[in-house]
Amino acid sequence: MTVTNNAPSGPSPDVAGAGTDVEVAVDLITVVVDGVEMRVPKGTLAIRAAEQLGIEVPRFCDHPLLDPVAACRACLIEVEGMPKPQPACAQVLSDGMEVRTQYSSEVARVAQEGVMEFLLLNHPLDCPVCDKGGECPLQNQAMSVGRPESRFTGAKREFEKPINVSAQVLLDRERCVSCARCTRFAEQIAGDPMIELLERGAKQQVGTAADEPFDSYFSGNTVQICPVGALTSASYRFRSRPFDLVSVPTACEHCASGCSLRTDYRRGVVTRRLAWDDPDVNEEWNCDKGRFAFAYLNQGRIESPMIREHGSLRVASWPEAIDAAARGLATARGSVGVLVGGRSTVEDAYAYSRFARTALATDHIDFRARQGSAEEAAFLSSKVAGAPVSAAYDDLESAPAVLLVSLEPEDESPIVFLRLRKAARAGTQVLSVGATATRSLGKMSGRLVSARPGDEANALRSLDDETRALLGQPGAVILVGERIAGSVGAASAVLELARETGAALAWVPRRSGERGALDAGALAGLLPGGRPLTDEQARRDVAAAWGVEAADLPSEPGLIGADLLEAARDGRLSALVVGGVELADFADPGLAVAAVENADFVVSLENHHSAVTELADVVLPVAVVTEKSGTFVNWEGRPRPFGQVFRDALTMSDARVLAMVAEAMGSSLPADVASIRKEMGALGPWTGARTPAPDTAPGASADGVVIASWRQLLDSGLMQEGEPHLAATARPTVAIVSASMAAALGETVTISGPAGSVTLPVVTGDVLDRVVWVPTNSPGCHIHADLGAVPGTPVQLSAGGAA
Amino acid sequence: MPLTPVITEHWDDPELFTISGYRRHGGYRALESALTRDPDALISLVKDSGLRGRGGAGFPTGLKWSFVPQNDGKPHYLVVNADESEPGACKDIPIMLANPHALVEGVIITSYAIRAKHAFIYIRGEVPEAIRRVANAVREAREAGYLGTDIRGTGFDLDVVVHAGAGAYICGEETALLDSLEGFRGQPRLKPPFPAVAGLYASPTVINNVETICNIPYIVDRGVDWFRQFGTEKSPGFKVFAVSGHVNRPGIYEAPLGITMRELLDYAGGMRDGHQVKFWLPGGSSVPMLTADHLDIPMTYEDMAAAGTMLGTGTPMIFDETVSVVKAVTRWLEFYKHESCGKCTPCREGTYWITGTLEKFEHGHGTEQEVETLVELCGQIMGRSFCALGDAAATPYPAALKYFRDEFVAATTTSADDQFDPVASYVFAGAVAR
Amino acid sequence: MPELPQAVRGFGVTFLTMFKKVVTEQYPEQKVPPKPRFHGRHQLNRWADGLEKCVGCELCAWACPADAIFVEGADNSDQERFSPGERYGRVYQINYLRCIFCGLCIEACPTRALTMTNEYELADDSRAKLIYEKKDLLAPLLPGMVAPPHEMVPGTTERDYYANTVKGASPEQVTTSPAEAEEVAS
Repeated sequence: MTVTNNAPSGPSPDVAGAGTDVEVAVDLITVVVDGVEMRVPKGTLAIRAAEQLGIEVPRFCDHPLLDPVAACRACLIEVEGMPKPQPACAQVLSDGMEVRTQYSSEVARVAQEGVMEFLLLNHPLDCPVCDKGGECPLQNQAMSVGRPESRFTGAKREFEKPINVSAQVLLDRERCVSCARCTRFAEQIAGDPMIELLERGAKQQVGTAADEPFDSYFSGNTVQICPVGALTSASYRFRSRPFDLVSVPTACEHCASGCSLRTDYRRGVVTRRLAWDDPDVNEEWNCDKGRFAFAYLNQGRIESPMIREHGSLRVASWPEAIDAAARGLATARGSVGVLVGGRSTVEDAYAYSRFARTALATDHIDFRARQGSAEEAAFLSSKVAGAPVSAAYDDLESAPAVLLVSLEPEDESPIVFLRLRKAARAGTQVLSVGATATRSLGKMSGRLVSARPGDEANALRSLDDETRALLGQPGAVILVGERIAGSVGAASAVLELARETGAALAWVPRRSGERGALDAGALAGLLPGGRPLTDEQARRDVAAAWGVEAADLPSEPGLIGADLLEAARDGRLSALVVGGVELADFADPGLAVAAVENADFVVSLENHHSAVTELADVVLPVAVVTEKSGTFVNWEGRPRPFGQVFRDALTMSDARVLAMVAEAMGSSLPADVASIRKEMGALGPWTGARTPAPDTAPGASADGVVIASWRQLLDSGLMQEGEPHLAATARPTVAIVSASMAAALGETVTISGPAGSVTLPVVTGDVLDRVVWVPTNSPGCHIHADLGAVPGTPVQLSAGGAA
Repeated sequence: MPLTPVITEHWDDPELFTISGYRRHGGYRALESALTRDPDALISLVKDSGLRGRGGAGFPTGLKWSFVPQNDGKPHYLVVNADESEPGACKDIPIMLANPHALVEGVIITSYAIRAKHAFIYIRGEVPEAIRRVANAVREAREAGYLGTDIRGTGFDLDVVVHAGAGAYICGEETALLDSLEGFRGQPRLKPPFPAVAGLYASPTVINNVETICNIPYIVDRGVDWFRQFGTEKSPGFKVFAVSGHVNRPGIYEAPLGITMRELLDYAGGMRDGHQVKFWLPGGSSVPMLTADHLDIPMTYEDMAAAGTMLGTGTPMIFDETVSVVKAVTRWLEFYKHESCGKCTPCREGTYWITGTLEKFEHGHGTEQEVETLVELCGQIMGRSFCALGDAAATPYPAALKYFRDEFVAATTTSADDQFDPVASYVFAGAVAR
Repeated sequence: MPELPQAVRGFGVTFLTMFKKVVTEQYPEQKVPPKPRFHGRHQLNRWADGLEKCVGCELCAWACPADAIFVEGADNSDQERFSPGERYGRVYQINYLRCIFCGLCIEACPTRALTMTNEYELADDSRAKLIYEKKDLLAPLLPGMVAPPHEMVPGTTERDYYANTVKGASPEQVTTSPAEAEEVAS
C-alpha cells in the first residue's frame, strides 16, 4: 500500500540515499565565491553556486528550469580574469574560477545598481494598483540593490493597457522588463510558442499573433514566473494583496498528475492557487485547470442534510438525516451498491471500502464513474492496486522510450505531458498507440503507432521489431490511460508487452482519486492494499484490522461497472450509496440514471447539487478539498497529502459522515484522517498472491466510421464551473478527421450515434481514415449523452448541418 | 604612402561585375589554384598572411577558420556578413556592386578551406542593387561550373544562397545574423557556444565580412609575401577606406594599412575650402572620435587602439568646424536607440535615456549635472550589455565629451542650432549660411 | 497677621478659580471645534466630478498598525466606473473599535483619497455599527459633482485627474450617471 502515515509533503527521505550515489558519479570542481571555497558539480552556473552559499544575486530572466538567456543583466558579477562583469546566470563555472558578487566586489555592485536603475527607467510607478505589489522581485531587488533615487526625469514609455493575451492572461506591457521568462516558458516548457517578444529597443513588448491568443493549457505559469506585474490573471486581478492572503500548501484535486499547489485565501474564500515547487513531481509548473478552476469550491454547495419526504427533498438536521440513512441502509444490508467518486481522497475511499464490507456487508463497490470493464478491473487488481512505484516522473525523464497507450497526456495528465516533453527534448522517444497524431504528440516529437479505436490490442500485439527494441531498452516505460478500459483485450496486450520487453508499466488515470481508491480497495473483489477478496489470508488480515470476524466479510466478489448499475436498475440491489459521482460520466448515463431511480433507497454524499441528489432519498453534504485534510495518490503511486485550508469549516469529510452512519447502524469506522492513515499503514501492502491477470483476446474495431475521443483538459467538467475566463481558453469543440474525409464533408459534419446526433465544425488533422475524433465532454458534444457513444462506437457522418 | 588598388583595381571597367569582365582581369584563377591545394594548407596560408577581419573587430581570419572542428560529422557553413549598416560605413556595398565576383570567388575558396557545402551571403535588405548584382554573380558562377556539385572535378560541392536581410542593424552582429538567417527574430545569442562550434543550425559556422572574403582570392593568387609587403607586422595588407564627410572628393581609396588620415585626406582632395578638421572617426560611428591632432597616426588596428579609438570598418568620417558635436552625437545615439534589439536592459533602456537627454541638450535644455550623469550612464552600458551594440552606443558621448566638453555645457542653455548654424555644414551647392 | 482657619484657606482656590476662564465645555449642547489637525473620522475623497479617489490599493490597510482597515479592489468597467483608471475600492471598511487614529493610513494613501476629518463623535451601541462601510466614509457630493458610477470627463484620462486638471463634472457626465438619469426621467 502506498498511503501510510501522515508523511510530510516534499522530497521523500529515500532521495537522500540516492543523492549520495550520485555525488560519487558527478565531477566536482573547486570554485571560490566571495572568498568562500566550495565544491560544485561541473557545469554549475555561478548564480546557483552563490545560492548554495545563501548569496542572492539579483535576477529577473534567470529561472532554474529555463535555459539561461542573460538578457536582463541584473546578475552581473565580477569573474577573476575577465575584463568585463559577467552575468552570473549564464557563467558556467570552471575549476579554480573565482567569482565575486555584489557583496565583495565594487564592480559587481555598481554594475547591478546601474542595471537596476535602467530597469526602473521605463517601469511605471503604479505599484499601488499592481497585483504584484508586495511579492514583486522588481520591488524587492530595487530595494536591495538599487539606487535610493532615480536620476531619470524624462517621460516613461507608455502602452495601451491591459491587453488580453488570452481570456485568462492579461498583459500590461509598460511593466514588462523583457526578461523573456514567459516566452521561454511557452517555447521550452509548454511547447506553445504563442507569445513572443515583438518590436525592438525600448518598444520591445510581449505579444501574440492577432488571430491566435495564448490559449495554452499552461498559460498560468507565465503569470506566476513573471518577475513583475506585467502578466496577471483575469481571475485574480485586483482581488487581493499578497499580505492579505493566508497560504496553505495543498495538492491538486483535478487530476492524477499530483501537483503540489499553494492555495491562497482571504476571509474564507480561495483567491488564487499557485504551482508549488516539487522537483519530483510538477517541478514548478501546473496546468491552468489546477490553477484557475477553484470557483466551484464556493458555488452551488449543498448546505445542509436533506431527506426525501412525500416525494420531495426537505432540509433536515444532521441526526435526523443520519438516522434516516442508517435505517434505510440497514434494511437493505447485503443488497447495497456503493459508487465512489473518482476524486475521493484515499482516506475517504478507504472509508467507503470499509463501510461497504462491514456496515453494508456487501462487495458491490466500484470507483470508476466512467467507462470501465471487467478486464480493466482485473488488470488494476492484479498489477496496480497497492503495488510499489513502477515508474515515476524521474523515470520518464531518463527513459529511452515511452509508449503511451490510450493516453493523451496533455489533456488527461498535463504534468506527465510536461515531463515527457522535457524528456523528449533530451532525446526520449515517445510513441503513442492511437488513432490520431495530436498536437501534443508533435510537441513531444513523438511517433504515432496507428490503431483504430478498439484495435489497440491488435496494434500492441503486432508492434514492429524496431518499436519492440526501443521498449526493450533498460528504463523504457509504458503508460496506460484510463481509456484502456474501452478497448477489448488492450489491457491484456499491454501486460504481455511489458512482460516481453521488460518495460516498466504504469497506469495513468485521469482523476485524482482513482489510484487512491484502487489502493483503498474501493473495487469489488479487492480489499485495501491490493488484497484479493477471495484470499483467505487477506480477508483475515483485513478483518483483524477492522475488528470484525473474517467470516463476516463478504467472500464473493461483488458487482462492478455496468453490472452493478444494471442490478440496481433491475431491482436486484435495493439500495445505493453514491459518493461524489456524476451520472453523466458513465458510458451509459441513461443506465446510471435508471439505476439511481429504481433503487429503493439512495444515500448521496455530495458537496454540490447533482443528478444523484435530485433522486436521492437522503442527501448528506460533505466537505470539498479545502475543508478537509486527506491524501491523493497520483499515477506514480506517490501520496500527495494535503492539509485543511479552512480550519474552521463546519462541513465533514465523507469518512466522518460514513462513520456517523456506521455508528447509527451499530458498526464502527475510524472517522478522522489520522486514525484512517494509521489503520491503513498498519495494514500495509499485500505481499501474497495477487488476483490473476486478465487474458482477454484482442477485440476488433467496428466497421465503418468509428469515434475516437477523450476528455479535453478544459471541458464541461463540473469542477471548472464559475470560471468563465478559463473556459474561454478551452479548445474549440470540433470534429477532427483526415484530409480526405474533410474534403468530402465540408465545413461542418453531423455525427449520428445510437442515441442522437451532434453537429460540429470539421477540422483536418492527422487522424486515421474512417475515424472521427470528437471531445468526450465538451460544450456542444457530450458523446455519452448526446450520441450514446464511447470511443470505438460506429457512427454515421453526414456533411453539413447547423453547427 | 601610395594607394594600392587591389579589390578596386579594375573598378573603371564597366563590365567588371560580369563573370567575363572579372575573368578578363584574372578572375577565378585563384580558385583553380586553390582547388588543387589541401584545405588545411589554405587555412594556414590565410593564417600566415595575417589577414584580419575587415568588419570592425579585426579578428585574425585564419585563426577563426582554424576554430572550426574538422571531421566532426556535422555540416559546416560559411556566412558572409554583408549587412553593412554602420553609420558612415560604405565599403562592402560598393565592393558588391562593382566587384561581386571577387566575393563569390572568395566564398568558394573559403568554403573549400573550411569544408562547407553551403554558404550564405547575408546582404542588407535596403540595397536591392547589391543583392541583384551578387545574386547574378552567383548565378553566373554556377553556370560556369564554379558552384554546384563536383566543382571542377574535385568532388567538392558548394551551394551559395544570397539572403536579403530585413533591415536591422543588429543583424550585423554575427549571432543575431545567424538567428535572422534561421528565420528567427534577429537577436544576439549567448556565447559560448561560439559560432565556430555551434553557429548556423547549431553547426560549425564561419562568419566573415565581405571585404575579408574579397581579400582571399588575391592572397591565394599572389601569396603571403605579396600580401605582407603592405601594412605593418600586426596589420598586414591593404584596406578599402571609404572617406566621407566634409572633404572635397569623398570616395573609396584602397591603401595599405598604416596610411595616415592626413594622407587619405590629401587623396580625398583635402577639407572643403576654407574649413578645417574639427573631429573625425576612423571607422564608423561606433568608434571613439579623434581630432585634428590625430591626423598623423597610422591607420592600423594597433595604432588606432593606442590612440584610444579603433580602426573599426576603416571608413573615416571627417567633420569640419561647422558641425555641432552635440548634434552629431545625438544623431548617432538616435540611431542606436532605434536599432537596439531590446534583448538586454543596458542597451535597451540606456539608449532610451541617453538619447532623450541628448535631445534636450540639442534644444538647449538640461543641466550641467546631466552632462556628467550621461558619462556615468555610458559607463553603465559599456561592457555590461549583451553584445557590442551596447558598447557602440556608449562610445560616442564620452569620446566627444573628452574633446568638446564646453560645447555640451553650452548646450544646456543654447541649442545646437544656435551654437552652429546647420546650413553652414551643408555640403550641397546653394546652401547659404545665416 | 492672624492665621485663617485651614478650612477657609482651602476655599481660596475655589474662589480664585471663579475668576478664571471656564474650561468646562457644555458638550453636547455646545460643540467646540477641535484643532484643525485633529485626527478624527476618516473620509474617502472624491475628484471634482464626483469620481472616487480611492483605487483600492490597500496601502492604508498595509500601513495600519491596528489592522482596522479592510479593502478589496475591483475592476472599473465601461459600464460601471467609480474611479479614474482601472481599479477602484469595491469594499472599504474601517473598524473604529480598532482604529487608534494614528494617521499612518493617510500617509500611505498614494492618491490622497483617504484623509481625516475632525469628526470625533464615534460612539454607538453595537460593534457592527462601528465598522464603517464605504458609504459611511465617502465624502459628500459637493455642488458640481455627480455620483458615480459614471464615465470620466470626456477627453480626459486618469492622468488628467492625477494632475488635478479636471475641475468639475461635464454636462455629459450628468447624463451618464444612473442616479442622475433616474432623476431626469422622473
